[in-house]
Amino acid sequence: MDKFRANLMVCGGTGCVSGGGLKVKQAVEAQLKEKGLDKEINVVLASCSGFCAMGPIMTVYPDGIFYQKLTPADAPLIVEQHLLKGKPVEKLMYREPLKKQAVPAMKDIPFFNLQVLRALRNKGLIDPESIEEYIARDGYQAAAKALTRMTPEEIVKEVKASGLRGRGGAGFPTGLKWESCANAPGPVKYIVSNDPAVFMDFDPHVILEGMIIGARAVGAGKGYIYMRNEYPLAMQRLQKAMEQAREYGLLGENILGSGFSLDIEIFQGAGAFIAGVGTALLRSIEGKRGMPVPKPPHSTEQGLWRKPTLLNNMETWANIPPLILNGADWFRSLGTEKSPGTKVFAITGAINNGLVEVPMGTPLRKLIFDIGGGIKKGRTFKAVQLGGATGGILPEQLLDIPATYEDFARAGAIMGGGGVAAMDNSNCMVSAAKFSVEFVVDESCGKCPPCRIGTKVLLDKLVDITEGRGVEGDIELMEDLAREIADTSLCGLGQTAPNPVLSTLKYFRQEYEEHIREGWCKAGVCRPLATFHIDAAACKGCGACARACPQKAITGEKKQPHVVNQELCIKCRSCWEACKFGAVQIGPAGLRQELIDRAKGAVAAKEAETAKGVETI
Amino acid sequence: MKGAILVVDDEEVVLKSCERVLKPAGYEVSTSTSAQKALQILGENGGFDLVITDIKMPGMDGIEFMKKLREKNPDISVVLITGYPSQESIKEALALRVVDYLPKPFSPALLAETAEKAIEFRKKTRGPESEDFGPEKAEKLTEIINGLKGKPGSLLTVLQKAQELIGYLPPAVQRHIARGLNMPVSEIHGVVSFYPFFSMKPRGKHIIKICLGAACYVKQAEQILARLKGKLQIDLGEVTADRLFSLESVRCLGACGLAPVVVVDKNTHSSVNPDEALDILAQYQ
Repeated sequence: MDKFRANLMVCGGTGCVSGGGLKVKQAVEAQLKEKGLDKEINVVLASCSGFCAMGPIMTVYPDGIFYQKLTPADAPLIVEQHLLKGKPVEKLMYREPLKKQAVPAMKDIPFFNLQVLRALRNKGLIDPESIEEYIARDGYQAAAKALTRMTPEEIVKEVKASGLRGRGGAGFPTGLKWESCANAPGPVKYIVSNDPAVFMDFDPHVILEGMIIGARAVGAGKGYIYMRNEYPLAMQRLQKAMEQAREYGLLGENILGSGFSLDIEIFQGAGAFIAGVGTALLRSIEGKRGMPVPKPPHSTEQGLWRKPTLLNNMETWANIPPLILNGADWFRSLGTEKSPGTKVFAITGAINNGLVEVPMGTPLRKLIFDIGGGIKKGRTFKAVQLGGATGGILPEQLLDIPATYEDFARAGAIMGGGGVAAMDNSNCMVSAAKFSVEFVVDESCGKCPPCRIGTKVLLDKLVDITEGRGVEGDIELMEDLAREIADTSLCGLGQTAPNPVLSTLKYFRQEYEEHIREGWCKAGVCRPLATFHIDAAACKGCGACARACPQKAITGEKKQPHVVNQELCIKCRSCWEACKFGAVQIGPAGLRQELIDRAKGAVAAKEAETAKGVETI
Repeated sequence: MKGAILVVDDEEVVLKSCERVLKPAGYEVSTSTSAQKALQILGENGGFDLVITDIKMPGMDGIEFMKKLREKNPDISVVLITGYPSQESIKEALALRVVDYLPKPFSPALLAETAEKAIEFRKKTRGPESEDFGPEKAEKLTEIINGLKGKPGSLLTVLQKAQELIGYLPPAVQRHIARGLNMPVSEIHGVVSFYPFFSMKPRGKHIIKICLGAACYVKQAEQILARLKGKLQIDLGEVTADRLFSLESVRCLGACGLAPVVVVDKNTHSSVNPDEALDILAQYQ
């Protein structure tokens, strides 16, 4: 193997690739060749680094200099200045959000240095299409240990002792699941991996390795990986990884000479969110409508084709190899007593987006403000939705709760897939709840009435409120209905569906009341419940609002207070977003008529005055 | 010409009288005295809209003939003639999807009316879908089905491949798959209508999918959608008049870190801002 004086790791995650990462790589390679450096400097398309907001990303090793938001045009500068002259290019580096100071090394950027990587331990470091690189980082060591030096009982015991909990939904103890499946009688068993959800740029080999260990523990000979067809890049990498693993004798007959055989197949789903529910997913693999079935029997006893089936989420599988290699005590060294280990979160919304892994118990505030970089200037934090569309929406005062299964559940949220969507003050909580419920109405499989009918009624009420038809009693009715849906639905989708409504009713009740009683959406999101007007005292007359207005409804002289013509305004909120001085104000619906009357009054008064003037002459 | 009809009967006199009635009514009429010969004629000339056939014939009978015919040409209209209608033969005929039944003896007026109805029925069920799903594609689909037949749970895979081949899954395709996999059409339809990935309507050359998951919502996915709707002049789930673009929504791609996400065909566009949305379209025009 050639020795290189530097390695350039171009991020090959979906985000960076879609942002033009491959073109950046080609441009850098061309430059290196031109300067005759291609023999001493190596360019690698690495696995996803997770800092999607800054893509396309490239890191230069051995120093770990981090370049962000690259374009092919930046290639000559990097090659010339950094790689030839040894001076890293400051203008392409990450900048601290407040002091705007350049941070050269990846290890000094809070987004990276506040993370602890286990499931994502190879991120940004290895080529996801190379099994050799995976093996070089202790890959398949755990599988070898499990297959040659451990009995299936010992594997199950280790997983149980670790306290690992299912990373996909409610956090069921993984060890108990494995034990139940291992104890289920029968020669034919299956193991299944759930679709990647937020984990889309996963390391394919770590999933395969985890599944090999799981299959050995429960005695399964056939595995399925459920992949949604919307992840072409991940699919391609997984296929390649499986080919390589077969070539290396890590999949197929007699793995590592242990006498244990396992075949894994990719199953392509057809885009139904409900397939995230275990029993529904198994029906989908059987080629049926993906609808959940009541439990018991549990999948571990009667799952796929009514055979014992071990179904785990992809992130859970990714936790298995390091856990088996290092042991349960090591695993418990991070996280809390009841939620040990680390968790992957997809942080998104009004902060720096990306995929991060932190120890369980990390306060939400740290995730959002330190790792996520906080809310942009001029806006303030309002709420965070945890666990995706069926997760609870929590206010600022709950930001100090630690990220664990128990604390999230207590606050009315869920861990779910690990989505953390931060919302700033431009969001209306009633609308956010409406959007989430709309999602469930669309995705409900229709099997059980509470979810099918209940969520639709809930949605109708929310639509009424956001369109100004809310009445007294709506809030109480929604509360009752939401509890009923949560209590009586068949599967996790229906049971968690009311979370966004219940949590916003609890923490942002006032906002619902303002909508219903005052006809006022203070965020200006619900158009029928807002009137946009300009505070003459705060207006500097810069004209930014007038330029942003698609209706040309805002007029005014330069440096003089501007005015909104209410009859032309379509309430698109562009002026509010454009104003840097907070002069555009959002009033209740009723204000509109008042302002129209006042404007007419002013015109009439002026006319009267002019008329009077004429008379006196 | 109102349509091409093939009449099959072992009695010359029936053929002659049919010809006498149908030709002046504006149809192109061919005749055959045996099922074997009829299959040959159909093999050489695929342009028939309707086959009128007797049931009782020496050699291959009408039912056998229909079975053979259906293998090659699943969507042609068929009308049966017979002198001895029985519960049994009616049942069998219905299973083979005949359009109508002519009990001997029948009047010229009834024959003309039945032929007209049958041909109209064919035109109605044809529509644009027969263009998208011609004999060539039907053959390819049969190959796909045969390759996966017998594998447990292969229905979803068959449907995915069928959609890849034809672009969408109209009733004719679902029937074809049902026959190939030996499953009830209702079960096929149940699965097709359940998964949002499957479409029963024609789709555009490029399929735009916009993620409306929670993260994308927070990142203004709805505004992107509004811009795309405005530019393409279509609503969600519709296809542009030139069939270049389909606009579809997907409920969370799970790529929350990349929000908001728009997927066109197999390309993922991440962190799209509403102003850029229209630039994406330009790449595919």
